[in-house]
Amino acid sequence: MRRLKSLQFKHLARPKPAITAVLLLFVLLALPQLMSLYYVDTMTQVAVYSMVALALGVLVGRVGLVSLGQVAVLAVGAWVAARLLFATGQPYLLIVLEAGLVTMIAGTAIGLPALRLRGLYLALITLMLAGGITVVLATVNFPNGGHGFLGYNGSLVHIPPIRRPSFAASDPAYFRFAVIIAIAMFALVLAHVKTRPGRAWAAIRQSEPAALAAGINTTLYKLWAFALASFITGVAGGVLAGAIHYLYSIGFPTQDSITLLAVVLMGGAYSLWGAVVAGLLYQFLPSLLNNWGVSADWLTILFGIGVLQVLTTAPAGLADQVPRDLARLYRLLYRLLGRLRGSRPREGEPAPDPETAERVP
Amino acid sequence: MPPWSNFEPFVVSGLALGGVYALSGVGLVVLYRATGVLYLAFGAVGALGALTAWSLAQAGAPGWLTWLACVAVAAAVTLGYGTLFGPALAKRDPLVKAVATIGLTLVLYGLMDLLWTTSGGQARSLTLPTDNSGFTIGQITVTDTQVIALAAGVVLTAATATFLRFTKLGTAMRAMANDREITATLGVPVRRVEAAAWLGCGILAGIAGLLLADLVALDATTLTFLVISSLAAVLIARLRSIALTFAAALVVGLLHDLLTPVVSLSNYRDMTPFVIAAIGLLVLSRHRVMVQSREGA
Repeated sequence: MRRLKSLQFKHLARPKPAITAVLLLFVLLALPQLMSLYYVDTMTQVAVYSMVALALGVLVGRVGLVSLGQVAVLAVGAWVAARLLFATGQPYLLIVLEAGLVTMIAGTAIGLPALRLRGLYLALITLMLAGGITVVLATVNFPNGGHGFLGYNGSLVHIPPIRRPSFAASDPAYFRFAVIIAIAMFALVLAHVKTRPGRAWAAIRQSEPAALAAGINTTLYKLWAFALASFITGVAGGVLAGAIHYLYSIGFPTQDSITLLAVVLMGGAYSLWGAVVAGLLYQFLPSLLNNWGVSADWLTILFGIGVLQVLTTAPAGLADQVPRDLARLYRLLYRLLGRLRGSRPREGEPAPDPETAERVP
Repeated sequence: MPPWSNFEPFVVSGLALGGVYALSGVGLVVLYRATGVLYLAFGAVGALGALTAWSLAQAGAPGWLTWLACVAVAAAVTLGYGTLFGPALAKRDPLVKAVATIGLTLVLYGLMDLLWTTSGGQARSLTLPTDNSGFTIGQITVTDTQVIALAAGVVLTAATATFLRFTKLGTAMRAMANDREITATLGVPVRRVEAAAWLGCGILAGIAGLLLADLVALDATTLTFLVISSLAAVLIARLRSIALTFAAALVVGLLHDLLTPVVSLSNYRDMTPFVIAAIGLLVLSRHRVMVQSREGA
């Protein structure tokens, strides 16, 4: 009985497909109706940044490659999408796909030489590359409907907004559009994790020499991870372009990549739900605090403490820790309740088994 | 290409900037060698020190007290972090240790933005009295601050190298860089040596923060993330050589400022450290795969 009760909390950590489906239907159908437009916009951003966090989670959690430049990759995706949206009349969905593919090529091209580096060096070179991309973007600017390859015209007075797909022009509709694309990206990652690439990545994360000895083409699978992460981030950039209509290079500072890594670690880099938690932490909390009139600096401080806490005590992040702590709290309450009912354990009820209590997460 | 005379003033400012990068880089390398921590909060603690100094100056404190406070604050925060989180993370991967200092960076950054808000658009500045004194070589004015910045880079690099080579504590640090466990077995008080390294790094961060606040800008964001530029020099030296760090820092500083008069490249000059670091890392790693252990790197 006791064991059964605590086992129920496992569902929180790894929800059944049915629960996930109900949750998704609620988010898609009911959520936009329940929220003000302010929060609908915020939740669209959450969907976008969940995708970015998902991509970073693939690199950090699955393969063990830490990237400190993911926001710069997002900026590249947004730039490509914006340029194509101004230049062509292609369907939005196609452009999102193209932005993903172009970003994928760029990300893989960067990943190719960086593959020689590992650990700290790899993290730092991604930080350097992100710094470089940020400087270039600050100079060339985002397309604003001008002509030429860069599509930027500094003397333009009336800057046209970046268009949205015709079927998702309103904010709630665009939110649904973003969520559906995010679901597709999560499914894409799930398909990878459950099959051969996922197993190869796990082997590489554990020990690269061992993976090599087992006959895994480590170069191929590491590049594959870079390509997948860049593709997802590029798609996220494409969705972001339509979501906010106007893009500016100051919206993608290098330090955001660092904060993003912090929230991904806090959310939990090893689980897909961690990416959703990270998206909520990164976009929903600031909006909430802004609405309450609390400075966002508190959030930065919180993220900093969160990183230190995660690294020292909870390596799997909030997505893993919260259900575990809830289960622990539940057991504690259960025990207290039992103690209140009678100091002696009643007949027929097994005595508390400390080993089981330890083992069940 | 503009005539050479346009470049001359930027040689001076570039060398000054390079000097500060050098002393930052040396602080980072020493701490990394002794503890395995790449201290990414180096810029943030320097910024915290500089902002504290600014507040004290506003309150009417004498100059020497504000400078002392700047260095003391940076050293105290660094030492506090080192004693609190250093031992807990000692056995972890260098990458984990570096990411943990990002946590400290975010805490400090949020705190600075909260206490010294810039939302009102107010710009702060920290000027040292040495800004107004100086001399001229040919037609170029050289302020004493610039001289101090370069001299600090040179002197502190030489002093650190001498310290590591000839003192007992320095020898212990070098031993720990090779193997923490064996050093501990030999009876070296590992924690105390690590604390000394943290303190030294913190002092250098304070000095760097004070000089950069004067030479570049007194702004939490700028100063916090200027550490990335110093990192470029450290990376080229592959977190090992102090001499190489010094040379690379001077090149980064010089090149950055020398690009200013070149119109077509001026906007891209902030890329200098990133490009140099990226090329340096990739060329250096051409013939071998870099591993993350300190012994093999």
